[in-house]
Amino acid sequence: MLLTGCVGFGEEYTRVAGFSNRDAGAIVLKGTTLAPRLGNPVHRVCETPAGMLNAIGLQNPGVDVVVKQILPTLDFTETRFIANACGSTIEEYAEVCRRFDDSPIDAIEINISCPNVKEGGVSFGNYPEVSGRVVAACRRATAKPLIAKLSPNQTDIQANASACIEAGANALAVVNTVMGMAIDVEARRPVLANVQGGLSGPAIRPIAVLKTWQVWQVAKRHGVPIIGQGGIVDARDALEFIIAGATAVGIGTALFYDPLACRKINAGIVEYLDRHRIGQLADLVGSLGTDSSPPQACA
Amino acid sequence: MNRPHHGTIFLEDACVTALQAFPGHQYLLRLEAPQCAARATPGTFVHLQCAADIPMRRPLSIMNADPATGTIELLFKVVGIGLRALAHTTPGARLSVLGPIGRGFEPDPARPRAVLIGGGVGMPPLRFLATRLATGGAWRPIAFFGSEVPFPFRPARAATALHGIDHRIDASDPLLESLGVPSRLASLATFDGCYRGYVTALAAEWLAALHAAERNDVAIYACGPAAMLQAAAAVARDFGLPAAVCLEEHMACGVGGCAGCVVPVATPDGPAMKRVCVDGPVFDARAVYPEIFAGA
Ligand SMILES: Cc1cc2nc3c(=O)[nH]c(=O)nc-3n(C[C@H](O)[C@H](O)[C@H](O)COP(=O)(O)OP(=O)(O)OC[C@H]3O[C@@H](n4cnc5c(N)ncnc54)[C@H](O)[C@@H]3O)c2cc1C
Ligand SMILES: Cc1cc2nc3c(=O)[nH]c(=O)nc-3n(C[C@H](O)[C@H](O)[C@H](O)COP(=O)(O)O)c2cc1C
Ligand code: FES
Repeated sequence: MLLTGCVGFGEEYTRVAGFSNRDAGAIVLKGTTLAPRLGNPVHRVCETPAGMLNAIGLQNPGVDVVVKQILPTLDFTETRFIANACGSTIEEYAEVCRRFDDSPIDAIEINISCPNVKEGGVSFGNYPEVSGRVVAACRRATAKPLIAKLSPNQTDIQANASACIEAGANALAVVNTVMGMAIDVEARRPVLANVQGGLSGPAIRPIAVLKTWQVWQVAKRHGVPIIGQGGIVDARDALEFIIAGATAVGIGTALFYDPLACRKINAGIVEYLDRHRIGQLADLVGSLGTDSSPPQACA
Repeated sequence: MNRPHHGTIFLEDACVTALQAFPGHQYLLRLEAPQCAARATPGTFVHLQCAADIPMRRPLSIMNADPATGTIELLFKVVGIGLRALAHTTPGARLSVLGPIGRGFEPDPARPRAVLIGGGVGMPPLRFLATRLATGGAWRPIAFFGSEVPFPFRPARAATALHGIDHRIDASDPLLESLGVPSRLASLATFDGCYRGYVTALAAEWLAALHAAERNDVAIYACGPAAMLQAAAAVARDFGLPAAVCLEEHMACGVGGCAGCVVPVATPDGPAMKRVCVDGPVFDARAVYPEIFAGA
């Protein structure tokens, strides 16, 4: 999958010769709010060791423009398109989902990491109980498959995953960016205008793999699939997430390195399955072995 | 599907054919990138990987593109880790190049006197523009370049005098001189034959000596540091001229996907955030600096 915030509203990367939306199983569109947002001032991005920080500020034209003007320009035969719903209040999340409900969108991902204006800007996703309320409100608003995107910036991701599943999430995206900050020491100022931003890229991969494995312990009991993400740049990285429990994987930052990475990752996974004589990807999901329980021998 | 931009940016493993060092940590880099070379226009840029261990790309303007030989030329000044690493590349090395990217200059044929104002590493897209205008029809380009480090070429003695410019100011860009495009150089440092002051002040002196009727043929094209672009916009306002400015901003994707590289722009529908990479990097100065033109 191609991850939200990295591929605009689904068509941007088709500028690159050789890139095709068909190479991705799904494309998650940019985070969308009820009203249009201009987003943050610049700088919005900066490179950091093995990754980058971003603070885009949810620049988007608002859900009505997305549904009425952008979705009709997308070719739904090429891949599946997933919306990413954002809000400052629980009501806003639900309303965004309701407006996507009557559209060709294939699924809705709920970005529960947004700041909650009623609680002084603390992220909804920090608290399992609040996360559950957001998902429940969205659940009532749409019959589309719902993906809850979990934040790594919280104490107990397993409790949060449980709350989202109980509230009706059909899948979990693990994980969103890790909050970080970079300082221009010469100017003694933050590099990002927003001061803090989300860290992505290989720097967060070990964190994301751990969170995926932790969430898997909860999700497997409910048969809820995980979309693993955070710093994947090649097939080996993707396999880490799958072995830890992810059914699907997504890339964002890796596209900035190599816009044609998707095809290579898919080919690398197929090569791995062949080499290990594993019939289907599902057999690999959550197949992590430990000393007390070695990996299952594959057929 | 209506996809006018589809497949217009190419990913190439470009071979380094030359790297030439100039004073002030400036480098001219020549690359074999045939698909990019075939499509590049002045103002477009490449997003390139400086070294294998620095995966995020760096945007650099295309200074020249030769479709016949498949080569492109870049000129850069070392700033930080990325361009420092790039300065250590060697002929034969391969660099991942994504380009050409962006909407470049769209010179207005109704205003054949194109005044090019470039500062520092803002010169490359304007040298490219001058090259293309010199070989294409009725254009009468003229360039004013400024630099606070020695110019990344050995200045030539200008062959022809320019009305309104002191004859002792005769240092010019040898490339443009060879193409028959007049140019003059400016610096706050004391360089032989250069105007001592801001490049925008030099351009204003030349514009002031034109007849009002001649100014109807003029449009300004500028690239350089933000302060220079604002000064160029003020010159355009003072002389009632249109101006296009080529902007810089930190970039991640370089292809319009991340909205990391935006600039606030005034539009008929109110303020908007435009992406420097694909909506620009060239913008109308009035849209980018409405406050400079307010009341003009
Ligand atoms: C469209 C465009 C064309 C450009 N053309 C040229 C050119 O022809 N010659 C030239 O020397 N420079 C040019 N620049 C500026 C050049 O991209 C930066 O100087 C370069 O990215 C600095 O990288 P660094 O790693 O050396 O510096 P660092 O300061 O270490 O970079 C850190 C991060 O900030 C980004 N960054 C820092 N300064 C800039 C900047 N001014 N613009 C964009 N990103 C920046 C870097 O890309 C990197 O991600 C251009 C910029 C843009 C946007
Ligand atoms: C520039 C940029 C913008 C992003 N915007 C959003 C967003 O609007 N909503 C969201 O849920 N995640 C956003 N993300 C997070 C990504 O979707 C992804 O979860 C994260 O970057 C980890 O994957 P990666 O390391 O492969 O990039 C953004 C990431 C980047 C790099
Ligand atoms: S750099 Fe990503 S949109 Fe311009």
